[in-house]
Amino acid sequence: MFALLGVVLVAGAPCVLPAAAGGTKLKPPQNVEVDIIDDTFTLRWARSREPAGNVTVSADYRMPRIVDNWTKLPGCQHVTSATCDFSSLKMHVYEEIKLRIRAEEGNSTSPWRELDTFIPFQQARIGPPKVHLEAEDKAIAINISPPGAKDSVMWQQENPQYSVIIWRNASGAQTWNETHHSRFPRIKIHKLVPETTYCVRVKARLLLHWNPAEFSPVHCVSTTVENELPAPENIQVILENDTYVLKWDYTHDNVTFEAQWLKSYLKRMPGSQSEKWAQVQGCERAPVARCAPPQDLFRKGIYFRVRASRGSSSSPWSQEEKFDAGRQVVIPPLIVALKPLSSRSLQVSIGFQDQTELQHSLTYEVRFWENASNAERKTFVEQRADFPVLSLKPRTVYCADAQALLEDGPRSQRSRPSNTACAATEAGGAPGALLVAGVAVMLVLCAALALGKLVHYVFFPAGKPPATIEEYFPEEPTKNLLLSTSVEQTEECFIVENVDAVSAKEVNHLDEDHRTYTSQASQDSGHYSIEDESGESGESGGSQAGEELGQRGAGAHSAGGRFA
Amino acid sequence: MNTQPDVIRKCVWPACLMGLFITGTLSLGCDLLHIHLRRVTWQNVKLLTNMSKSFPLECLRENKAFQLPREVLAYSQPLLHRDIKGAFYEMSMLAFNIFAQSTFQSTREEKHLEQIQTGLDQQLQYLEQCLKEEKGKKDKEEMEEDEKRHSGARTPQPSNLDLRRYFHRISSFLKDKQYSHCAWKIVQVEIRRCFYYFQTLIELLRRK
Repeated sequence: MFALLGVVLVAGAPCVLPAAAGGTKLKPPQNVEVDIIDDTFTLRWARSREPAGNVTVSADYRMPRIVDNWTKLPGCQHVTSATCDFSSLKMHVYEEIKLRIRAEEGNSTSPWRELDTFIPFQQARIGPPKVHLEAEDKAIAINISPPGAKDSVMWQQENPQYSVIIWRNASGAQTWNETHHSRFPRIKIHKLVPETTYCVRVKARLLLHWNPAEFSPVHCVSTTVENELPAPENIQVILENDTYVLKWDYTHDNVTFEAQWLKSYLKRMPGSQSEKWAQVQGCERAPVARCAPPQDLFRKGIYFRVRASRGSSSSPWSQEEKFDAGRQVVIPPLIVALKPLSSRSLQVSIGFQDQTELQHSLTYEVRFWENASNAERKTFVEQRADFPVLSLKPRTVYCADAQALLEDGPRSQRSRPSNTACAATEAGGAPGALLVAGVAVMLVLCAALALGKLVHYVFFPAGKPPATIEEYFPEEPTKNLLLSTSVEQTEECFIVENVDAVSAKEVNHLDEDHRTYTSQASQDSGHYSIEDESGESGESGGSQAGEELGQRGAGAHSAGGRFA
Repeated sequence: MNTQPDVIRKCVWPACLMGLFITGTLSLGCDLLHIHLRRVTWQNVKLLTNMSKSFPLECLRENKAFQLPREVLAYSQPLLHRDIKGAFYEMSMLAFNIFAQSTFQSTREEKHLEQIQTGLDQQLQYLEQCLKEEKGKKDKEEMEEDEKRHSGARTPQPSNLDLRRYFHRISSFLKDKQYSHCAWKIVQVEIRRCFYYFQTLIELLRRK
């Protein structure tokens, strides 16, 4: 911060010194303005308090998008007066342009003063248009040429609209003036008084831009003496039995009429294009105040005008009447929907495909019928777009379609029939039957689920077997014993051979005993599964021991058998 | 020579984006405008299509990209219904002025051109009426007041300046090529594509 101050002071110091030495540091020009009117570009500034000397002013320009360096502004170099004109610069009127200006005296120059960036098209004022007047007895035709030169760049692409102020140039109390707004360069003001001087001022403007405009100078003209034959009035195009016919009013007799037509887009074009009126076939010399031109003439967008003639004299042209076939009100296509409200009513909804809300009020004709053969069709005429239809039969299908009519238009103007929509009224029973059924289903499902869980818990417990069993079944401790179908576990049997050898001798003696023992043994251990058939005497001792062992083993077996 | 004209799209980008940022409510006036406008615009697109069907291949050489500056895509201020109509009006007017400079090549083309100009004139009429209705029934005094008020803050929508630049490029192109047959053909195709995309804008108007 202090460094900055320091820099400023240092910078200021050399400026102070020359002042002290007697010269004045040049300041750039003040109150600089850019004035643009049509294609004339002027730079204005205030002359600084005048020390004697030749102070000149120079300016540069820069167009950020096109010419990015500061370039000398033509027509504004070393200018002594307080304005300079740089219209000779080839201007890009829609592009931004930046100007800077400084004063010079001898070898010293002031610092540049930069002006704000601007776009010429937005800054420009609309100059006065050129006006040409032609007077008739009760009308004045005004031909307006657009502002700017012929090769004007600024308004080259524009279609200006014009405001015309006309007043009566009469002294005295009778002042009268009117303002007309015209979209076209040619405007005719009717219902004027013959032999009067009228004065006119015209101003151009752009429709969507707020450029200020200047009025043209005042132009005056006098209307002529009243014509022998007045112009026809009230020209209309009417539809007679599907044929378009041109009709007008005329007060005098013994005249023939001549009709002309013009394509309406020609009115928008400046210059002489607008004079391309063409004869209407069948109306070149009409004896009555109507004629029937060929129908293909009646396309959209044409103007008509009519005049009367008798002998060599003719009336002025009538007011131009526009005919636009496309201007009839178009009712967009309708969409009809039916919704069941209850068991005895349906709701009819009429909408448009386009979702627009029409300014014109419509009347709807709705045809309604039961979807059965020989059903009679009822027609409702409604202004509402949503309404219920009552007193219907339950559980029946009904259908409807609709047409729209313009309320305050020709009754013949109706839309095309809409789609046919059908819907059924609801059943007569409790409307909640479905709901109850649904709830019941839900309950049953819940019950089934609970039952399933119970069954699962009771019959298929997921418990752990006791530790002792685990000794025998170490591999699968969590196995479900009831359901297991694995191979029976077998235990090794230990048979002592010595006992067998000894007992082989005694067997013969003890046969009877053995037999009884065996029988006893066999009675005792009826569980023997393997050694039942091995009750031989030779192995009585052994068998005894074996029995014992066998018993144990068998016991174990049986135990195993029992539990296997 | 740029043989890839990707302009058309860019012509309508400002229009499309404006449509995307609609925040205004449906105007009470010009209710039927959308219906008429849509019909008329479609007719113009079809007319231009018919005209440009016979595009001579040798004209492809002279094809030019009439690009719109990309800054337009960043324009994100919420736009009113009226602004869209305004842009559409200006587009129609600028296109009309281009066609007003035409010189007829053949009777068939002359007929087509007349039809286009009639269609454009219709579009302009509807829009003028609509914009006038939306302005309200202002007196002359009120309008002048507005002018004074607005003279300090002149801010037309930037997109309208872009439209003007775009059509200025087309106009300069025609002038440089001395209104040759090929130049006209190229311009016809260009404006047709521009119309087509403005049609999408009308759809957005319709849905509002």
